[in-house]
Amino acid sequence: MPENETELFQALSDAVVGMDEDRARELSIEAVDRSIDAYTAIERGLVDGMGRAGELFESEEYFIPELLLCSDAMYAGLDILRPHLKIEDANQRRFKVVIGVVEGDTHDIGKNLVRIMLEASGFDVIDLGRDIPAQRFVDTAVSENADVIALSTLMTTTMDAMAEVVEKLQTSNLRGCFKFILGGGPISPAFAKRIRADGYANSAPNAVKLVKQLAGVPA
Amino acid sequence: MGRDSMTPVQRFAAYGRGQAIDRLPCVPIVGNTAARIVGAKVSDFRGNGKLIADAQVAAYKRFGYDVIRVFTDLYTQAEAMGARVHYPGDETAYLAGPAIESVEQIATLEPANPHKDGNLPAHLEAMTRTVDAVGTEVVVTGALTGPFTTASFLIGTETLVRLMLKNPAAVHQLCEVSLQSALAYAEAILDMGCTPSLTDAMCSTTVISPRQFREFGQPYLTRLTEFIHSHDRSVTLHICGKTRAIWEQMCETGADCLSIDNAADLAEAKAMVGNRVRLMGNVSPSEIMLQGTPDEVRQAVRECMRKAHDNPKGLIVASGCSLPVETPFVNIDAMLNAVREIGWPVHIEEEMETTCKA
Repeated sequence: MPENETELFQALSDAVVGMDEDRARELSIEAVDRSIDAYTAIERGLVDGMGRAGELFESEEYFIPELLLCSDAMYAGLDILRPHLKIEDANQRRFKVVIGVVEGDTHDIGKNLVRIMLEASGFDVIDLGRDIPAQRFVDTAVSENADVIALSTLMTTTMDAMAEVVEKLQTSNLRGCFKFILGGGPISPAFAKRIRADGYANSAPNAVKLVKQLAGVPA
Repeated sequence: MGRDSMTPVQRFAAYGRGQAIDRLPCVPIVGNTAARIVGAKVSDFRGNGKLIADAQVAAYKRFGYDVIRVFTDLYTQAEAMGARVHYPGDETAYLAGPAIESVEQIATLEPANPHKDGNLPAHLEAMTRTVDAVGTEVVVTGALTGPFTTASFLIGTETLVRLMLKNPAAVHQLCEVSLQSALAYAEAILDMGCTPSLTDAMCSTTVISPRQFREFGQPYLTRLTEFIHSHDRSVTLHICGKTRAIWEQMCETGADCLSIDNAADLAEAKAMVGNRVRLMGNVSPSEIMLQGTPDEVRQAVRECMRKAHDNPKGLIVASGCSLPVETPFVNIDAMLNAVREIGWPVHIEEEMETTCKA
């Protein structure tokens, strides 16, 4: 076991990068046993590791399989550390994103990667899943008091369903309440502009940069 | 624009021998768009080989492209092995659920019987009818999904990619049973007088690494390619998304033609593997073919031809992937007309300079 806090944070980060779910769990329990601040362990350990994994993904050393296993390790640690967060850390208002794959499509790996990377960057994410009707995005964004609606698709047939979400926001006079962003194989910046989206990203790391920009957080 | 002076079969034959042709081969990859030609709904294709054939033949006659590909979606083999597919009224089908939920269930999977299971018999009927109708003038292919991609539909993509790292033997077991389905279906396609056309979407480096492709994609594609070659047919291999890092490996499967997505670059492909394989691609199906204007289609075609018309093993001007259902007919016409306009031999760079000066 690592000797001091710094080493433990590093080991947690390494467990995430190393896709070692058991090790992440073991080290998180150790952090709890040593009464190390859970928020700091998450930030400097798990989140740091997921950030490094994201960099390896961007440089094409890691691909989707590796990133998913890194996230499994991160979530294994989060499950243990989150219940130990101080009340003010657990309840702090964070920038909130409602995300999902639009109706008519069940390809959700890309959306899942965006959710993982957003959560690892400290955003609150409500993941509606896949094949989601337009109205549900709107209803959830309202009921959750979200900041951003993020839509994904891999199928050209469902691109119109993205425009439908904007229309529904407009007819309910809610367009100004939420930022609206898009991603997915057939989507282009031109399409995003045409349906008056607030942003478009072509990869999970870029989606995080986009949301940070919208939230006014330095990248 | 006048129609062509050669049939697709004559054009490919002459092009393959290095003889003069009227224009480069051109293939806007028409799948379910064919429903729009005959006024059918996409879901009407389900289980209806005659309608698929009628629509594909009508689309070929309407546009005059060089390859007919009998294709509705990538799930046909997985569906025949138990995956659940949802058919919306008038859009392309999508996967509703995998065939199995756990590694333990892999042993329960059996290779599909192409003459009995799922929609495979209907697709075979479509192929034989299409060959009967126009097979002497145009190449008719039948879409064959690669084993790794079918495996992803059988157990779910996320489960499969996690298993690659945690339980590679289970992934090989899934790929092997998918390969057995693919081989049986390939044989049936060949029996119909048709050529299998391979798509292995999940092998893209947008999803998996080149090393993972070498282990889980390439060996199965190689065995399929060897089988098709043993029946004296050439093999076109399409992998969606990014593929640059696996072009060499795609060539090692023995494929004769690589169909390249618009996420990759034809000039780079030509430089890297153009001595070994014909290239096919790669106008963007969504941004250009679906959403662009005919003039944008024309420009995109000219760009593809400028980059790779001199590919040592040849170029087929094509869309980067299957066309979206609602692709405007005028854009498909524009693609063919842009290739006809340039004609043969191709002198595209000089022409572009002239255009600039004017």
